[in-house]
Amino acid sequence: MTLRAHGLCIERGGRTVLQGVDVEVQRGDVLAVLGPNGAGKSTLLAGLAGLLSPSDGRVEHEGRIAMALQTSALARRSALANVEAALAWWGVPSDDRRRRALDALGQLGVAELAERSAQTLSGGEARRVHLARVLALDPDNLLLDEPFAGLDTGTRGELLYDTYELLAAPTRTTVVVLHDRVEAWALADRVAVMLDGRIAAEGPPKEIFGAPPTPEVAAFVGFAGRVEEPGGMRMLRPQDVELDGNGPLRGRVSRLVPVEDGVRVELSVDHGRVVALAPVPGPELGTEVSLRLTGGVLFPR
Amino acid sequence: MNFIEDGFRNAWELLTHPDDRLWNVLEVTLQVAFWSTLLALLLGLPLGLALGLRRSRARRAGLVLVNAGMGLPPVVVGLIVALLLFREAPFGFLDMIYTVRGVILAQTVLSLPLVAALTAAAVQAVPGALLDQARALGARRRQVWWLALREARVGVFAAGIAALGSSLSEVGAVVLVGGNITGQTQTLASAVLVEVSAGDYGRAVALGLILLGLILVIAAVLTVAQQGQARLALRRAS
Repeated sequence: MTLRAHGLCIERGGRTVLQGVDVEVQRGDVLAVLGPNGAGKSTLLAGLAGLLSPSDGRVEHEGRIAMALQTSALARRSALANVEAALAWWGVPSDDRRRRALDALGQLGVAELAERSAQTLSGGEARRVHLARVLALDPDNLLLDEPFAGLDTGTRGELLYDTYELLAAPTRTTVVVLHDRVEAWALADRVAVMLDGRIAAEGPPKEIFGAPPTPEVAAFVGFAGRVEEPGGMRMLRPQDVELDGNGPLRGRVSRLVPVEDGVRVELSVDHGRVVALAPVPGPELGTEVSLRLTGGVLFPR
Repeated sequence: MNFIEDGFRNAWELLTHPDDRLWNVLEVTLQVAFWSTLLALLLGLPLGLALGLRRSRARRAGLVLVNAGMGLPPVVVGLIVALLLFREAPFGFLDMIYTVRGVILAQTVLSLPLVAALTAAAVQAVPGALLDQARALGARRRQVWWLALREARVGVFAAGIAALGSSLSEVGAVVLVGGNITGQTQTLASAVLVEVSAGDYGRAVALGLILLGLILVIAAVLTVAQQGQARLALRRAS
């Protein structure tokens, strides 16, 4: 079973949001779609789901498609009734709906909220009911648009790990729009990076995040440093730069930003600019430090 | 002042000892109100849903029409319906002029824009994301519309109350289409008109009080039901 888009173009508000997207997901695979705001990720999902008509290109799929939109959007009914309503829309016989709805709520860890009104649920609870609603359908093709949007870090992490197990279905194709590389690492077999309405890169997470194919994709996936070298331009992640007193390069500290596990240090170097992570308190602003480049990707001219 | 006191005294007499004419007028009034409201709901709810939810160019024009329709002069509607229903008119074969069925038709024409416009406004306030989500989970148009109607139930109740209130109190169209025939097509509101013309103010006041009481009771029942829904929604939202 495959979900496939060929040269998919979609216009919204007179603007071409998707510009000839080709994408293919095999049965059992989870494809994570990443990209900056406005890149067309949600439009791609809506196009795959058939909610938006393409101006060009086509979508092919086997079986049925269900999509969970970015907003939880639950009706003013109990959590259980919301899931049962989705099962009714899906065509599940009425005597089977309650069991499947309760199973799905249980899988997402919210079975005890079944009789609670959806309007009284917290953001995290509503998000779990929202996901239970689509997973209860057991669709052949599952599309999730930012399933962890708007959640605090703790809730996000818990839901991420719970969802990981639920998405690993060998008979289903899954496409999930994500904002976070960590989530993509956890959930996806393949990653597609969308930039300006096109798929700019697609492949296994290790490949896309470790060796991005273009400078644009590299910049998006966290290669914030750029250094001109004789062979081309080297782009570097913070972990590719080591502050080392014996390092062969010299850089001037141009910016310091405290982060969770230290200080993000921006440095001006000959022919470029790099970013490194340093333990607190880090070097002083405006001082010169020695450093060593330990990795990065070289893009030939 | 005696004049008014006499009126109320006569009214009390009629209310405590209702005659056959009163029972007949009451029956016609309820018959017209029930059927015209039912027809207006049956036609107006789908129309309101279509105007509120469908994405077409005709939608805005339709909304303008039903919004304008809420202010239709009943006398003009009655005149047009009567002209269409006269024996020699295009719809004369329906044999509805000067009948309760004709009055129900005229009243339905008046109530329909109320139901459609208020329903459209109510369902437009339902979050679009909820309806999009239903579509994304396989809901067909009929199911999406039912969801919208359910979510907008407080506003839809208001549409029903407005339609019923209009049909209970309408005079102009009733007189023109029904002929205000005592014992046949006369309603409480149109009977008041006749009694005032005949100088029987006591009976006119009595009929007026009954009409007001009827409207109050029905509106109270529907409002309690409507606010029950609203409280339910509020409690769930808190």
